[in-house]
Amino acid sequence: MRLFYSFLLSVLLLLGPATTGQTENLVGGLTPDQALKAGERMYREGILPSGKPMQALVQGDIPVDGRMFTCRNCHLRSGLGTAEGTIISLPTNGRKLFRTLHRGAEIETNPPRHLLAKPFQSEDIRPTYTDESLADAIWTGRTPSGRELGAAMPRYLLAPPDMDILVYYLKHLSTDFSPGVDKQTLFFATVITDEVPAKDRRSMLGVLQAYIRDHNARSRHDEKRARHGPFYRQDRFAPYRRFDLSIWELHGPPSTWEKQLTDYAARKPVFALLGGISTRDWTPIDNFCNKNKIPCIFPVTDHPGLNPDNWYTLYFSRGLVEEAETAARYLANNRTETVPPLLVYDNDARSRTLTEAFIRQWTTLGQQPIRTLQLPTGTQARLAFWQRILSSGQQASLVLWLQRNAMKELFTLAPQHSALQSLLLSWRMLDSSSAGLPKAWRDKIRLTYPYRLPGQLNSRLSFVKSWLKLKKLPIENLHIQAQTYFLGWVLTGSTRMMGDDFYRDYFLDVIDMMNDEVYAIATVPRASFGAGQRYAVKGCYIVGLDEKDPAKLVPLTPWVVY
Amino acid sequence: MSLRHPSPPGFFFLVLLLTFVSGTSASAKYERSLETYLAPDVTLVNQDRQPVPLRQLLNSGKPVLLDFIYATCTTICPVLSAGFSNLQKKLGDEASGVQFVSVSIDPEHDRPEIMKAYLTRYRARPGWDYLTGTRTDIDQVMHAFDAYVSDKMSHYPLTLIKVPGKDQWLRIYGLTSTRDLLREYRQLYPGKAK
Repeated sequence: MRLFYSFLLSVLLLLGPATTGQTENLVGGLTPDQALKAGERMYREGILPSGKPMQALVQGDIPVDGRMFTCRNCHLRSGLGTAEGTIISLPTNGRKLFRTLHRGAEIETNPPRHLLAKPFQSEDIRPTYTDESLADAIWTGRTPSGRELGAAMPRYLLAPPDMDILVYYLKHLSTDFSPGVDKQTLFFATVITDEVPAKDRRSMLGVLQAYIRDHNARSRHDEKRARHGPFYRQDRFAPYRRFDLSIWELHGPPSTWEKQLTDYAARKPVFALLGGISTRDWTPIDNFCNKNKIPCIFPVTDHPGLNPDNWYTLYFSRGLVEEAETAARYLANNRTETVPPLLVYDNDARSRTLTEAFIRQWTTLGQQPIRTLQLPTGTQARLAFWQRILSSGQQASLVLWLQRNAMKELFTLAPQHSALQSLLLSWRMLDSSSAGLPKAWRDKIRLTYPYRLPGQLNSRLSFVKSWLKLKKLPIENLHIQAQTYFLGWVLTGSTRMMGDDFYRDYFLDVIDMMNDEVYAIATVPRASFGAGQRYAVKGCYIVGLDEKDPAKLVPLTPWVVY
Repeated sequence: MSLRHPSPPGFFFLVLLLTFVSGTSASAKYERSLETYLAPDVTLVNQDRQPVPLRQLLNSGKPVLLDFIYATCTTICPVLSAGFSNLQKKLGDEASGVQFVSVSIDPEHDRPEIMKAYLTRYRARPGWDYLTGTRTDIDQVMHAFDAYVSDKMSHYPLTLIKVPGKDQWLRIYGLTSTRDLLREYRQLYPGKAK
């Protein structure tokens, strides 16, 4: 295999002489802008300018191509690298590669390193890369210091023009700090749309501002240490920045949001958006963030963006979509009846989101097409509607993505229709309460329940409640408050880990590399991260009602239904 | 910008260097030991959303290679998976009689459709199953094979090869070349070398 690749490379070299150097401004035969784009594609997607996948060898004899994994896999989107288990992937961004690497502190010491007495100067462990030595390292795995990189680092089989392009890209990767940071401050904003109930707005904003106040309250000492701390601790102290939080209020229809967001960002650029809240679809904000490469972490929304190509927004969960998909899988796994379920929805935005997601998942599972009906308006029409369904004689499961009020006529019919197969409802559409569900159908009711089970809540929630009390924040919407509490916890950890590498992409890379969380997260069992994972909480229970005590929920599935 | 590339003879030298030198020097060291493990009696879910009784799968009589991975892993799993892929290729027709098993250590994220796409990316051939399951079941599996990590970010490279007819497994700690993995495999399952 190795000989084959060697031959291939040699042929490439003979047939396709490097165009570099023919024109001073060209990089691998491309203009600098084209080269940056082509280099980004090589780095992130493993695809050469020719459209073919990059080829490499790992562990000495395992051929890999760019469709399997890419530079980005290990060195991350920002190029700042990662440490996973026992394997460390070193930074490959321009700022780190093209300067001498010292042992220990990466950043400037105070006083500067060259003014320190010789014994205090950390040892040089790698001279600065040049274009040539970087190309050699990518080809052969040998660094300018003579060290051989680990065998897990692929040895890339790139023709010289392609190598030119990759080196050029790396040289420009994460070099200048992102907007929204200066020598003292990291600037953030939170987006709030105008229809959000005041109580929910206070719940999100109160917790977020408390975190910001907490961070800045320690600033006297942190700022002093950042300026005058001992040289051997500068790596820890110097990156300290105060946090500044702006509120970006969005008014009017979503079609006008992009313009409003653009204006806000132009007036005061921010490093990232924190939290935020809307009862509407978050997609326009998600698209704005993606277009402008602004991270947005943990907005409070039931309607997250679902575009898998968008990278810059990290959601708490997939919201209603996760519920609907779980419901579809649960029903598909437990179907006994021959007729497909009947789904009833109405004009409520949440109902429509649940319905669309359910149908998509149901179809993906290869199930017989589901029947859907829209709930009519008016008491008499609804009564007749439900009577028709219940008297049809078909033992179908009912999936009702409706609020409690929309089902009150149905519930009056429960005593006469005990032969119903099952009734699947959304806990959130019921405003998180089982009150008023008909006793006759208690054993048939199934609920999507996207939270930690009630019995498991106490200790985690107590901690959040105590924290809220300490910050003098009344409990208003505990789910939103607990979620924003988690955001604050993530923010603290990620900004500390980011050090002085103030790159927006690295901010998200750092969060992606965080450990799974089961403690700071109060209302769900687990939040987990991973490169490119954009929904931290992944799961939803299906619960039933206890026959004796309807307020008690009985889990019917594990947290994840496959 | 342009690089001062090696002249063609210099480049050929570079390629030769890659061919004959780094092949040995880039080979990683790994640790090996024989261990006794009993797979737990759990049912996991594979990339086709099919339930898979794990103990049955691992005791089907076929040679079994097992590792622990997750789909968004940055460094370790891609190399392990490229290794499985290459070993399947090296085994040729024989690969259809060998069971490759990758168990997810990120079961909340690794759903069947994600696992299927992952296997496609690594050009997995039939006989390579990627399994997920409840957190409780996955924890049981990790404990049973002395591979438990409380968090996936702390995981380490591990490949297990079942010793034929026994509850013993060859435990390979570290990333290997295909040459090394094939050699270890052949010690347990002698056959025609490719």
